[in-house]
Amino acid sequence: MGIQKSTRWIAWLWLVLGAMYFVVPLIATAEFSLRAKKGVYSLLAYQNVFAQSKFYESFGFSLQMAALTIIVGMVLVLPTAYWVNLKLPQLRPVIEFVTLLPFVVPAVVLAYGLIKIYSRPPLLLTPSPALLVAGYVALALPYLYRSIDAGLRAIDIKTLTEAAQSLGASPANVLFRVIAPNLRVALLSGAFLTFATVIGEYTLASLLVWPAFAPYINLVNSSKVYEPSALAVISFLLTWGSIGLIQALGGRRSDSSQLAGTR
Amino acid sequence: MKPNRRQFLRLAAFAGGAGLLAACGGATPAAPTSAPAPVEAPKPTEAPKPTDAPAPAPAASGMDALIEAAKKEGELNTIALPHDWANYGEMIEGFKKKYGLKINEINPDAGSADEVEAIKANKDNKGPQAPDVIDVAFTFGGSTKKEGLIQPYKVATWDSIPANLKDPEGYWYGDYYGVLTFEVNADVVKTLPQDWSDLLKPEYKGQVALAGDPRKSGQAIAAVYAAALANGGSLDNAEPGLKFFNDLNKAGNFVPVIAKPATIAKGETPIAVRWDYNAMANRDQSAGNPKIEVIVPKSGVLAGVYVQAISAYAPHPNAAKLWMEYLYSDEGQLTWLKGYAHPIRWDDMLKRGVIPQDLLAKLPPAEGYAKASYPTSSQLDSSKKKITEGWDKMVGADVK
Amino acid sequence: MAAAGSSSVRLLMPSELNANGIDAPTTASRLWGVVKTWLVVVPFFLFAFMFLVLPALSITVGSFSDNDTGAFTLANIIELRRPSIVSAYSVSVRISVVTALLGGVFGFLMAWAVSLGQLPRWVRSALLTFSGVASNFAGVPLAFAFVATIGRLGAVTVLLKALGVDLYGAGFSLYTFIGLCLTYLYFQLPLMILVITPSLDGMKTQWREACQSLGGSTWQFWRFIALPILTPPLLGAMVLLFGNAFGAYATAYALTSGQINLVTMVIGQQISGDALHNPGLGNALALGMVVIMVISVAIYTLLSRRSARWLNR
Repeated sequence: MGIQKSTRWIAWLWLVLGAMYFVVPLIATAEFSLRAKKGVYSLLAYQNVFAQSKFYESFGFSLQMAALTIIVGMVLVLPTAYWVNLKLPQLRPVIEFVTLLPFVVPAVVLAYGLIKIYSRPPLLLTPSPALLVAGYVALALPYLYRSIDAGLRAIDIKTLTEAAQSLGASPANVLFRVIAPNLRVALLSGAFLTFATVIGEYTLASLLVWPAFAPYINLVNSSKVYEPSALAVISFLLTWGSIGLIQALGGRRSDSSQLAGTR
Repeated sequence: MKPNRRQFLRLAAFAGGAGLLAACGGATPAAPTSAPAPVEAPKPTEAPKPTDAPAPAPAASGMDALIEAAKKEGELNTIALPHDWANYGEMIEGFKKKYGLKINEINPDAGSADEVEAIKANKDNKGPQAPDVIDVAFTFGGSTKKEGLIQPYKVATWDSIPANLKDPEGYWYGDYYGVLTFEVNADVVKTLPQDWSDLLKPEYKGQVALAGDPRKSGQAIAAVYAAALANGGSLDNAEPGLKFFNDLNKAGNFVPVIAKPATIAKGETPIAVRWDYNAMANRDQSAGNPKIEVIVPKSGVLAGVYVQAISAYAPHPNAAKLWMEYLYSDEGQLTWLKGYAHPIRWDDMLKRGVIPQDLLAKLPPAEGYAKASYPTSSQLDSSKKKITEGWDKMVGADVK
Repeated sequence: MAAAGSSSVRLLMPSELNANGIDAPTTASRLWGVVKTWLVVVPFFLFAFMFLVLPALSITVGSFSDNDTGAFTLANIIELRRPSIVSAYSVSVRISVVTALLGGVFGFLMAWAVSLGQLPRWVRSALLTFSGVASNFAGVPLAFAFVATIGRLGAVTVLLKALGVDLYGAGFSLYTFIGLCLTYLYFQLPLMILVITPSLDGMKTQWREACQSLGGSTWQFWRFIALPILTPPLLGAMVLLFGNAFGAYATAYALTSGQINLVTMVIGQQISGDALHNPGLGNALALGMVVIMVISVAIYTLLSRRSARWLNR
């Protein structure tokens, strides 16, 4: 019993130390963001942030990019994951390799490579936001795939498919009207994860020169004192809201699951 | 039971088409509204030699035709224009409102060298990453002309720009000028430094900063140059400036952080060497929170002129020309003056009496400008070379 | 039997039937069946090829190509010996090692606290949830948060000054190596917790009990049983953390405006403008980074496979 008690004390010690390390910066940032008006706590910094048209422009841009990334990502991943699970399990190692690529090719190197290939005719893609979306999809691919794959493995797609087909459903119908509704949690998890990735992504957006949200926040840092902290708080809430929603939905988090490009 | 082959093919085609769309980028509604081909944009396959100017758009004869052509292009790409620098915020908004063009503001934090790099890196790119117009430190005018990166254009008010502050062939032209000052956060720094030598005092440990990277930023290079003037150097000898900053760094007074309004206010760089117009604009904007003092140093006062130019690879050359017309109109010049920057047509406008009395009153006393040193083009070139190449050896931004 | 879906009925010859009496598919239709099966996955792999594989390949090829002639050359790789580049790699490696070690050790301790430390269930799920979120709190907002905390006028700095400890007077600065390490830890720690917790969960309680019943102390349990089993996943996780820090760009950039000499910063500068004045060298730099990441992923994969034996995750 003695051993158990001391174990618990030590455990609490490490936990509390760690918790302090995590919580103090959050409190400091929030407190700093409230100090815009001299001598008194106020929401002035937040008011200033929301009064800037650039805030809405950059956030709107990132929202659009996020929506496109989610759509393109889902369209690419869902049929593929479904098919691999159903008919082509031998492709699994290849897919594993593909999902490892974004970790091996960090965002800055990906930006370098993308610009290298797609900044000259005939493959001139840099002027188009499509290249940014492609980059985002590439970065989000591992998480999207793992999320949907996990969801697919949890349901018996073989039986579902056969049952649907025996009732005369076409493959498209099978996928979209039978399988997908059973993947609601996985799809939503993937969507929120992608959303958080794109909203917080700085590297690709700044190196490919697009007026996205994270570069905007960094820019505000040059000219304003308290507004960047306010933006940081807003950013946290957005990211956490998304991730929190995923946790609430019960989506599983795999290891090495950090959102690429935000670091 | 075989799945219906036709429906399956439709699914595959859809998946394939979506993949192709993603790859070829045809499906993005997020693209800016209409970026049609500019009217006769010069498309050099190699850098145009400075001697033969690329043919300007024939439709740009006369202001109305220019406005038409610019509106057809629909947008302008600017770079390195912070909104609080010489009141560019109001300038940009004014231009947008007057002509209804969209402005893509690339990298407002860029330094002069970054602007040049952006032109070089985007020669084939007609997208929103390629700058149309640049605003760079004086020396960069000559170097970009030599590298064939800019195209000539003479605005309507060309003649009222002083001859020694523009390129006779019209490739680059001075836009505004100011002197270097110490911008001090008076809430953090109790005793205000009055001269360069004061900066070495131990009470300013970890407080002095430059407003840019002295290997890239015109403002930072000028600061080193000004320090040279105050420490036994001259307009022809910038070496003492490097030595001064080396001493500053060794004393621990120098902070290797780029000073910006935010860092000054937060006390990270409470003493910053910045152009007077930037310092004064920031002082006004802070409105006492924190209290900012702008001090013209007793010795080593350097005046700096910035120049405008149109990129030779500009995606929207007519919009660029219209922008220049706007900047050099009385309206544009006064906008800069509101930001405490002396516009290049100052003498002409003063003579014609178009400067409002209240603006004149807000300006700092003229003595500061009287004792300022105005380096020539060649002096700036050699000092820039010396400073950018010598900095790493003397100070270095490497982290231990 | 007529094939389902065919437009007309006809009698089949015996030669057209296989052993089960079912009409044998022709080579053409069999081929078409194979193509159909693989067609669905083509977009995915085409995308992966165009936007992941091709950039990596292009960088690799470019590293070994001469700038002007395009001929094969090792000059770019050799040029990596430039002092400023060696220095960049050195700083990057050091930051990654330090944050991997610190993040690894403290992350392990916290993960241990909630899995084997007999803390209430809710603490464990709170920490895991928080880690899931905090591991994604990086980049620009994180940099600002730390400036607000231990920047020159940060809350903790001011607090410590009131208590008599002058951080910046003593020479500490957030914008240096140490400061960046502290900032990186904010996403390294949670990552470690997330990665190592499953391994800790795999530690069977029977092992502890068996050790105790044989008279072993806590120290002996850890020294002879727990740590040997946990070493592969621990090392693997730390290697993962290493790679994670090595590839970080946004946080370092936001904190130092690109002023600190890291490999990611140099690559970024090379992208914005030919800062190295040598495009081939830029390729080699990027390739070097990819090689380091590949090695770290390979080591992590190998080590996590080894640990599966005991901890069957």
